[in-house]
Amino acid sequence: MEKPQGKEDRLSVWVAVLIALVSLTTAMTAWRTAALGSKAGDLIYQGLLDAVKKQASANEDWRRAYQEAGYARDYLVTLNGLLVQEKSTDPASQEQAVQLRTYLLPGMKSLATPLGTDPSYFTPGGLLNVQKRFQDLENQSPDLSSLDPQASFSQADKYYVEQHWLVVGTILIAVSLFWLGLSQLEHLRPRVLILVLGVIVYGIGLVWSLAVEVIFFFLRGGVL
Amino acid sequence: MNTSGNSNPERGKTLVLLLTLLNMVLVAAISALQVDATVRANQANRDSQYYAIQVTGSLVQTGAQSDFDLNTYSKWLTDTQQALVADYSALQRHSANDQQGYEQLTFESLIYQAQAGQAKTLSILLTDPAYAPASDQASPDMSAYLSDLNATCLALVQKQNNASDAYHRWSNKSDSFVALLTVLAVAFFLLGVAQMSRPNVRLLFSAFAIGVMGIGILWALIQLIF
Repeated sequence: MEKPQGKEDRLSVWVAVLIALVSLTTAMTAWRTAALGSKAGDLIYQGLLDAVKKQASANEDWRRAYQEAGYARDYLVTLNGLLVQEKSTDPASQEQAVQLRTYLLPGMKSLATPLGTDPSYFTPGGLLNVQKRFQDLENQSPDLSSLDPQASFSQADKYYVEQHWLVVGTILIAVSLFWLGLSQLEHLRPRVLILVLGVIVYGIGLVWSLAVEVIFFFLRGGVL
Repeated sequence: MNTSGNSNPERGKTLVLLLTLLNMVLVAAISALQVDATVRANQANRDSQYYAIQVTGSLVQTGAQSDFDLNTYSKWLTDTQQALVADYSALQRHSANDQQGYEQLTFESLIYQAQAGQAKTLSILLTDPAYAPASDQASPDMSAYLSDLNATCLALVQKQNNASDAYHRWSNKSDSFVALLTVLAVAFFLLGVAQMSRPNVRLLFSAFAIGVMGIGILWALIQLIF
């Protein structure tokens, strides 16, 4: 009678140790799940900051491109009028044209450069290609225009996806805790079978969690 | 009646343990749903803010573009009107036998016409077939122009609103799941009290815990369906 009782006690001790181990694993996966969410949140924050900086730079470039377009329009319109005025036979008008070309036009041309003077900024229809000028201005500040918020968001999504899959592992481990707890009830039979079931579910949960961690580690290019 | 059963201090402890374990599994499942809802809420919130940033950019761009387009059109209109006025004045000077005034004003009109011609070349409102007036007397189709100009901005606003709605929906779900976890924590408390109580009271607390767990399950199902 004493021998089976001693076996039962030893089994209970092993089950208690296993429950402690599984509880520890549950705590670790829960911590990792929370850490993944936190990392994703940080990346989203970074992405939004980048988006604000990039958009502020683009806003300034659009403003500048259209301001230059206004200067270019005024220059081209004035120049066209001046070309006609220069053909005048009236000496006063001719003199005025000379003065305008000498004193007014250089300043206007300076403001209108390059949009109003470089032929590459004109569309085949004769309109000013403000989009091209905007793109050139963007290229002049690559540190801001090359910011890529979507890259941060995409990385954050990877953390979120890992978080989803890791939660599945956490649930499996929690379910194993259920079976291990049941195997602690001495009057339930067969205890060992229930214990083995718990260990198997725990093993699956553990392997699942580790596999998720390893797979996403490589998917993120070696970043934890 | 069954005095031997009532006197057994272990009665109902297995039931309490089973309920505790079941509650734990429920908590694990609800936690998973809460994590999922939070992730979706965070993503929708991010999209909403990102679209809002893009909307501000789009507004700046369309503002600058419309300013340029309307000023160019205005320049064309002014030069055209001034050319006409100069022409009209020239005719009047001609009627008054003022040949010098006539020639001067005619030449002035030519200058304005040249300027108007250049402004017209630069104006999308006067050159794009989608907006250009059908005749010299007509005006550009401003309605079509403004509609096209604001299309991108409005599309972004729509996306931003959708993302914002999605954020509120998932955030509410996430909050509900947190409340649900609190309810299940109450069930844990009741089961803990039951485990420490006398057998008769144990069953009563177990019944309360079952009721609370039932409410939790029902609430979770409602959250999942709607």
